Amino acid sequence: MDEILKTLDPRVSRLPKIGQTNPKKQLDQFGTFEVFVQGKAEKPFQHEGAVHAPNLELAYVLAKETFTRRFTCYSIYVVETRNVFVSPTTEGNQDVFDLISNEPAVSEKKTFEVYHLVKRGKQHVHAGSVEAGSPNEAMLKAKELVETDKIVYNLWAIEKNKIRFTSEEENDLWNTLPEKKFRDASDYKGGDKLKRFLEGNKN
Amino acid sequence: MNQEPIKELLYKMADDLLILGHRNSEWTGLGPLLEEDIAFSSMAQDKIGQSFALFQMLTALGEQTPDTVAFMRPANKFHNCQLVELPNGEYDFSLIRHFLFDTADALRWEMLTESSYEPLSLLAKKIKGELRYHTLHANTWVKQLGTATEESISRLQKSLEGAMPYALGIFEESPLESELISEGIFTGEQSLKMKWQAKVEEVISTTQLHLPEWKILAPCLGGRLGQHSEHLQPLLDEMSEVFRIDPGAEW
Repeated sequence: MDEILKTLDPRVSRLPKIGQTNPKKQLDQFGTFEVFVQGKAEKPFQHEGAVHAPNLELAYVLAKETFTRRFTCYSIYVVETRNVFVSPTTEGNQDVFDLISNEPAVSEKKTFEVYHLVKRGKQHVHAGSVEAGSPNEAMLKAKELVETDKIVYNLWAIEKNKIRFTSEEENDLWNTLPEKKFRDASDYKGGDKLKRFLEGNKN
Repeated sequence: MNQEPIKELLYKMADDLLILGHRNSEWTGLGPLLEEDIAFSSMAQDKIGQSFALFQMLTALGEQTPDTVAFMRPANKFHNCQLVELPNGEYDFSLIRHFLFDTADALRWEMLTESSYEPLSLLAKKIKGELRYHTLHANTWVKQLGTATEESISRLQKSLEGAMPYALGIFEESPLESELISEGIFTGEQSLKMKWQAKVEEVISTTQLHLPEWKILAPCLGGRLGQHSEHLQPLLDEMSEVFRIDPGAEW
């Protein structure tokens, strides 16, 4: 039992022993990066989760296996969590655009990728790209990207030049993924085998 | 086309990938970071998958089935280089081995996209993305840890020096090397080694690591001829333990 618990994962090995309380040290772990996945070429990107990494490039490398080791994938990108600007989240049926201030942006225009939440409890999905002078302005402009009958509960704005994208030649990273069915429990057809085994035992 | 040189090439490639895939899978659940644990385990699976594809080619050439050749041979019938059988040690060693081996492996498969043996050139094209990921992973970690802290740099440096003589064993030539080259199956270990040295130098030059002098390094040879360290047989025993209990079991 002791052997199994000897892990190198700092999030486990740094856990205090029972009864012991250690003050948390500053910056004792890697920072986090948000991961966005495009499952198929014709589908929009959506947020899948976060990875820990020491830098943007390693975040990309680790995100690929953490979030796209099953099914299909066309492309991913990652950005440092602190570069994701988040709007207030609304309650009930309130639209997020009512909560975004109308203050004008003064700095030069940049491209922002905007994500919106239109179903509570689901992932943020890519709404489109806008040119804006601030994350706030990007969110305001995003109203034009959204179908008018949809209520948006939350918005994210990410400056495009902070993103580590998948380059065109890197699209082959997922070429053999559909063949890796051994990563799905269903591929082992355990139920069928159990049924055959039990039926065999009856006779 | 003469089958003997092809078989020899397929066996050594398949054995390298099978043994290293198994070694790397020993990190599953113990990796230094959850995300890295997943990535390293996935790449280990890729390697086993690539070895399986090569063993299937051998079956088509009249050799025994993949499971039989993978699990039933004794150590002295394995043609892997000794680099891949060495124990994992600390993660820095596993990472350096991954960098040195996968750099060579990716270049080998790139050369094989032009192979006159069509099953091999087709497989080389198919797995290009897997190899791209493996080298991206290795290079990115080596660049990060090779410039990060005094501890990370000195650990990688020590592992690099320890692994290098074994890494040169990757390029041990086959007795049938000239036939592989003349028949256009593979451009040969010497040509691969030159490309590998250039690539290794390129990546290491972006770090604070130092390569040992190529000239004074004595390669650890013999693996391709079935001469192995004491570490291979225990690995084979563990890898084949379940298979040997019931070779006919269906999974």
